[in-house]
Amino acid sequence: MRLLPLLLSLLILSCEKLETVFIEEDLLERPPSKRCSDCHAQIFEEWKKSRHFHAWTSEQFRVESENYTKTKCLSCHAPHQVDPYKKPTLRVEFKEDGVSCVACHFKEETRAMHGPLKVWSPPHPSKQDFSYTKSNFCAGCHQETYKEWKLTKVEKTCQSCHMPSLGKRDLIQKFPFELFHLAKPRTSHEFPSLKAKPEDIKVELKGNKLILTNVGVPHNLPTADQGNPKLYVVAELEFEDGRRRTVRKLLSAQSKTALRYKEPKEIRLPKGNIVQAQVKIYRKLAWKKERELIKEVTLQTPSP
Amino acid sequence: MGFKKVLLLLTAVAGLSFSADKIVLKKPPASLDKYYPPASNKFEFLSNMHAMSTARTGITVNINEGNWEKALYWAKELKKIYVETSKMVPEWKDYFKPQLADNLIKAVESKNVDKVIEASRKFLQTCAKCHQDNELAVKLTYRFPSFEKIKIEDPVEFMEYETGKYMKAMTDSMKAMKIYLMQGEGDKAQEAGLNFVERARQLRTMCAKCHTNKLSEEVIVGKDYEEALAKLEELLSAEKPNKDDIFKTLGSITVSCTKCHNVHIMPAMVREAFGK
Ligand code: HEC
Ligand code: HEC
Ligand code: HEC
Ligand code: HEC
Ligand code: HEC
Ligand code: HEC
Ligand code: HEC
Ligand code: HEC
Repeated sequence: MRLLPLLLSLLILSCEKLETVFIEEDLLERPPSKRCSDCHAQIFEEWKKSRHFHAWTSEQFRVESENYTKTKCLSCHAPHQVDPYKKPTLRVEFKEDGVSCVACHFKEETRAMHGPLKVWSPPHPSKQDFSYTKSNFCAGCHQETYKEWKLTKVEKTCQSCHMPSLGKRDLIQKFPFELFHLAKPRTSHEFPSLKAKPEDIKVELKGNKLILTNVGVPHNLPTADQGNPKLYVVAELEFEDGRRRTVRKLLSAQSKTALRYKEPKEIRLPKGNIVQAQVKIYRKLAWKKERELIKEVTLQTPSP
Repeated sequence: MGFKKVLLLLTAVAGLSFSADKIVLKKPPASLDKYYPPASNKFEFLSNMHAMSTARTGITVNINEGNWEKALYWAKELKKIYVETSKMVPEWKDYFKPQLADNLIKAVESKNVDKVIEASRKFLQTCAKCHQDNELAVKLTYRFPSFEKIKIEDPVEFMEYETGKYMKAMTDSMKAMKIYLMQGEGDKAQEAGLNFVERARQLRTMCAKCHTNKLSEEVIVGKDYEEALAKLEELLSAEKPNKDDIFKTLGSITVSCTKCHNVHIMPAMVREAFGK
């Protein structure tokens, strides 16, 4: 039933006019992300699972920003507008929305939604903008991580790992608009934190040194700007004389002890002839309580 | 005519300084608590200060432009906020002299620049007096972030400690290293020393909880500090550790400890002394 007048209008009006018929003015007045879910329902559900959704309401952030009174902490956790390389300014409205749809996609300069695709979007103006597919889009907030990534000279972008492709899907789930649009390349808005694979960290035992190398993740492991994710290294050592020792090391982003890409890190072990070392590596994300095992390996010193 | 003089008026309050050769800090009255976190995030007392400061500028700017009407508006505004502020902290009631605010209003009404300058001077002295007695103590108490709430994870025991306790654990491992060295027990010295090094490295994790500019970190726990720690690690792992070299390296590490204490510990001590 509702389709009929619509089809009629399609026939009568030129495309240009149609756009003004369906335009929903409030979308350009910086609404909360919930409003975008009226059409972009799936993307919204993904984003709600992301840390960007929690950026403002995170209990840890509330505590560490001294209940939102440390003003210099706030802008990246509730940004007004995201531009490549630029540290954002603080948003005035809906701060609890954290790093929101509008912050990442709406630009004051064009008063349009910018994104990676060429789309026809009657409810709001859109503009194709290739900066969305580049790592520097994330650089204004993930400043340290971006610098680390840049140094590795690896070409894969932040998005290719942290916004993995979901194949072709609909951008919108809203009648009747969904009828007019074909499926398009979609990327995950869960912004997964990911987890290093065992082979991403090489572990060697050389004499009284344990050598760890990040060979798989093209930024420090762990990496951070203001959070403090950690790696825990626990080595159970067995010496020739039967002695046993446990060595524990904490590698963290903030202490600058993280594993740099392809740069071996030496951990000094107690003196004596080590015959065997059982090494476990765990990680703890900045916002999680639990430690998760990344790798477990037993190394032997070859007898001379 | 009055242009120069009014400029003078502008600088009158900028001259608020500690004239005395000693600074005495008084514990701020308890009733101030409610205008600062955690009780309030609105900083009501401080906003009134800013509002008075704005009103004061409003008077000067408008007199400079010969706009006495607007100047009078700001003079009345200033009195209003002044009186309101005088009721916020009963313990400080006597610092306020509303009579002097009235005199300022009258002076503006008279449109006589000399009178305005004289009335301002007298009035602003009431601001200066209170600032001299209290501003520093209040800033240190309410506006310097507290270290007690900051937790650092101990890299040796994988447990979280608050700042003071962490400092103690770190210093204990340093002392143990020294003692073992003096007793000629190299292996034990190495073990304690490596623990100290890890703890000293981990110190840096606390900086980001308050600073967003990585340069602040570099100044104190930057490259020199990292290199000194790496050197200590190497010296301790030598077959026969060289005591003198170790102590020398330790000296260059503790330079950073002292720098950091100089910048942060005084305010931390003041807070503690006031029981905040
Ligand atoms: C406006 C600033 C901003 C921009 C731009 C931004 N982020 Fe974030 N990001 C944050 C904040 C703040 C957090 C932490 C939220 C929290 O956990 O409190 C975060 C968290 C993350 C996390 C989770 C980290 C963890 O500790 O688990 C990932 C992954 C991530 N962002 C990826 C990206 C990628 C990829 C881009 C670029 C496409 C990007 N971000 C752009 C601010 C930003
Ligand atoms: C330049 C942008 C920026 C500023 C300014 C900033 N943050 Fe963040 N913050 C981030 C990003 C990006 C992340 C996500 C992971 C990471 O890089 O640490 C993050 C993550 C966090 C986390 C870990 C995630 C969580 O929610 O538990 C905490 C806590 C945090 N920030 C607190 C602060 C505090 C406190 C300040 C002020 C001292 C601050 N941030 C200032 C960008 C910023
Ligand atoms: C009434 C429906 C509707 C609402 C509400 C809506 N959009 Fe859209 N949006 C569309 C349509 C239709 C398209 C184009 C879909 C297609 O081509 O498949 C689109 C496309 C987009 C694109 C892709 C642009 C590009 O060039 O890649 C972005 C980004 C976007 N919208 C952001 C938003 C944001 C942010 C909000 C909330 C403020 C929002 N939209 C609310 C209908 C809507
Ligand atoms: C941290 C910034 C950020 C946030 C928050 C964000 N997006 Fe995106 N969005 C991107 C980037 C970057 C891309 C392009 C990814 C690519 O192509 O590699 C993108 C792509 C899109 C697209 C094109 C299709 C796709 O899946 O790639 C749409 C539509 C879109 N976003 C809508 C939204 C909506 C709606 C929200 C809120 C629910 C949202 N975005 C939140 C950064 C963001
Ligand atoms: C080749 C894939 C890849 C690329 C490219 C990449 N990352 Fe990661 N990233 C990972 C993996 C894997 C992890 C999980 C590490 C772990 O086990 O904790 C991770 C973790 C993170 C984390 C969470 C903190 C942590 O250390 O666990 C943030 C934040 C992050 N990446 C941001 C970025 C940003 C910003 C870029 C672009 C400058 C980027 N990443 C590029 C693979 C990648
Ligand atoms: C009864 C005491 C008292 C009186 C009277 C007083 N002040 Fe203050 N003022 C303070 C205190 C205490 C602070 C420090 C507040 C803080 O830093 O949170 C302060 C701070 C200020 C500041 C600095 C604000 C900042 O951001 O650091 C200004 C400007 C100021 N006062 C203006 C005035 C003016 C103008 C007057 C007189 C018209 C005045 N004050 C009268 C107690 C007083
Ligand atoms: C509890 C909060 C807090 C922590 C933690 C903290 N600082 Fe500070 N620091 C301050 C405040 C407040 C100031 C005064 C100036 C300011 O506001 O920046 C300051 C000043 C400084 C200054 C002089 C001014 C500047 O910014 O250059 C340096 C250098 C500095 N801190 C370095 C460090 C280092 C290094 C660490 C970590 C080892 C650290 N701070 C940890 C709060 C903190
Ligand atoms: C943030 C910069 C910072 C650095 C770097 C730092 N300290 Fe501290 N230290 C503090 C603060 C703040 C306190 C007061 C903590 C408290 O009592 O809450 C303190 C307290 C102490 C105490 C007294 C602990 C107690 O309560 O008994 C000792 C001892 C100490 N530090 C030793 C060191 C040594 C040794 C180093 C260098 C290896 C060092 N500190 C580096 C900030 C720092």
